[in-house]
Amino acid sequence: MPDVLSAPLVVEFPFTRSLGPVQSAFLTGLRERVLLGVRTNDGRTLVPPVEYDPVTAEEIRDLVEVAPTGTVTTWAWNHAPRRGQPLDTPFAWVLVRLDGADTALLHALDAPGPDAVHTGMRVRVRWAAERSGAITDIACFEPYDGEAARPTGHSGAFADAVSGVVVPARLDYTYSPGRAQSDYIRALAERRTVGERCPSCRKVYVPPRGACPTCGVATAEHVEVGPRGTVTTFCIVNIKAKNLDIEVPYVYAHIALDGADLALHARIGGIPYDQVRMGLRVEPVWTEGTRHPDHYRPTGEPDAAYDTYKELL
Amino acid sequence: MTSEEAPGPRDIAVVAFAQTDHRRSTAESSEVEMLMPVLHDVLDRTGLRTSDIGFTCSGSSDYLAGRAFSFTLALDGVGAWPPISESHVEMDGAWALYEAWTKLLTGDADTALVYSYGKCSPGSVRDVLTRQLDPYYVAPLWPDAIALAALQAQALIDAGHTDEPALAAVAARSRSDAAANPHAQLAGRVPQGDYVVRPLRTGDCPPVGDGAAAVILAAGERARRLCERPAWIRGIDHRIEAHGLGVRDLTDSPSTRLAAERAGAFERPVDTAELHAPFSAQEVVLRRALRLDDTVRVNPSGGALAANPVMAAGLVRIGEAAARIHRGASDRALAHATSGPCLQQNLVAVLEGDPR
Repeated sequence: MPDVLSAPLVVEFPFTRSLGPVQSAFLTGLRERVLLGVRTNDGRTLVPPVEYDPVTAEEIRDLVEVAPTGTVTTWAWNHAPRRGQPLDTPFAWVLVRLDGADTALLHALDAPGPDAVHTGMRVRVRWAAERSGAITDIACFEPYDGEAARPTGHSGAFADAVSGVVVPARLDYTYSPGRAQSDYIRALAERRTVGERCPSCRKVYVPPRGACPTCGVATAEHVEVGPRGTVTTFCIVNIKAKNLDIEVPYVYAHIALDGADLALHARIGGIPYDQVRMGLRVEPVWTEGTRHPDHYRPTGEPDAAYDTYKELL
Repeated sequence: MTSEEAPGPRDIAVVAFAQTDHRRSTAESSEVEMLMPVLHDVLDRTGLRTSDIGFTCSGSSDYLAGRAFSFTLALDGVGAWPPISESHVEMDGAWALYEAWTKLLTGDADTALVYSYGKCSPGSVRDVLTRQLDPYYVAPLWPDAIALAALQAQALIDAGHTDEPALAAVAARSRSDAAANPHAQLAGRVPQGDYVVRPLRTGDCPPVGDGAAAVILAAGERARRLCERPAWIRGIDHRIEAHGLGVRDLTDSPSTRLAAERAGAFERPVDTAELHAPFSAQEVVLRRALRLDDTVRVNPSGGALAANPVMAAGLVRIGEAAARIHRGASDRALAHATSGPCLQQNLVAVLEGDPR
């Protein structure tokens, strides 16, 4: 395998989701240590409750309280808990049919080991110490050999019901850019811009991605382009980007590097924003410790004639 | 137009299939670099060029590799100029094939290129797949793909439909058959290993890997000109079950059964079935739902237990079934693809070769 570049990539953001009336009642109930199901028109009680009947798609709103005790309908022993899962010690994943419900809820069961778990075993909810109106308000289930708990007959109406949940999500990747982009990034480290030529249409792509998007064939022939180029088109940015230490207004431009058949884009500096124009000749400005040009500035050459770059717009 | 004058549905066939070697990592290639040789391969088998293709449809998921809009970059490998008629599904390529099949049925196109790819190596596919779950009640608990499959396996064991030795036999047969499949990632004698999530052991789980697949569809006489023995699609249907795991009977797959019925699978026996069962226990469910007995050759390719490039593994099942018809090893084959946790969504296609 050729030497490939790689870098950690974390995709992480909180999903903010609003709740329907049934979901809101259920999650608010968890906050108040009350378990609610929803009754379907054929008389079944669904826990966890949903807004619409999974069989008939009818809107269902008839809330009914169920017990915090129930029966395991299937289980799986997780000896190596993963990030984000309910317990950080080995536990059983379980589907639990709560007393009074006709369907099962997925959660974790805190048990000493797989020999202590079986389908049909009795369990009860262990509530989280701090609850906010989320499925994690149930810390987990625990084995239980007492009587079925009795619901209190709660109506499902709460003061201060939760109307939404914020669910953080994070996925970790190791990013590898592939052969063509690795070559491009390596050349940039030497402050050279290297594109690739299509063997069919002969166009030079910068940055190269390994395939000619017009011909659908592999590119491989390296072609050093630039460093100078021509502004083919541009825009004036008036809104300051978060975490970006650049004064507005500034110009962001498409730049056709000499020898390239595809324009790349970069910021233009070293010239007042209102004097940037199509055809302006520019060159890269490198700063210490960066892996790509910080921006492009005018070379002082006469502007390029429109005909020389009109195919690159 | 009277019914006598109404044209019947068009005959549409899989005329070519190509796939990568499926491997644990393809870090040396970008997605398009991995995919493009497969596109060239499948086109070469028919002599068609991109400009000859009437419709192009692909399947992939940005979540796998963590790259937004990766499918647009993958299109570079097609050569989409002059502009082509194109579509994409954020699903397994089997569903892209379904869309292409319907497009050909309308008569809007006579040929279609269908492809899909998945790079599982950049991330943790176990965790990535949690993001397809109910975001209110399930996803916040991060139940990974193996945990959910294990819950299904235990339900099957409790119901008396299987046991651990039977699951091990499914795994062993799959990897043994895969020894004849040069594209397989995991083949030969593979130890059943320790529990990953009990009752599933390493051997019950699919290998994690990267790969791509592509298929060409053609209608009527066009298909006969492009392929010596086209694999005619006699029917395809796909059905989905409720998302709530606790609402479903995990020991059964009514969606598979219904899709098979609608695709005509039960009208006559099939000789081959390529089932998309990433976990050994899921083959048990599918065999029952599809009423497959021992006369049917199940997963001669090794199936998803031998190579599971997520988003392509379902399309590979259709391709493998079609390829057996192309080379005369099957006359009537069933291909199945699945999506979602515990076989939530299922597609069934029935393929036939012309009588010999």
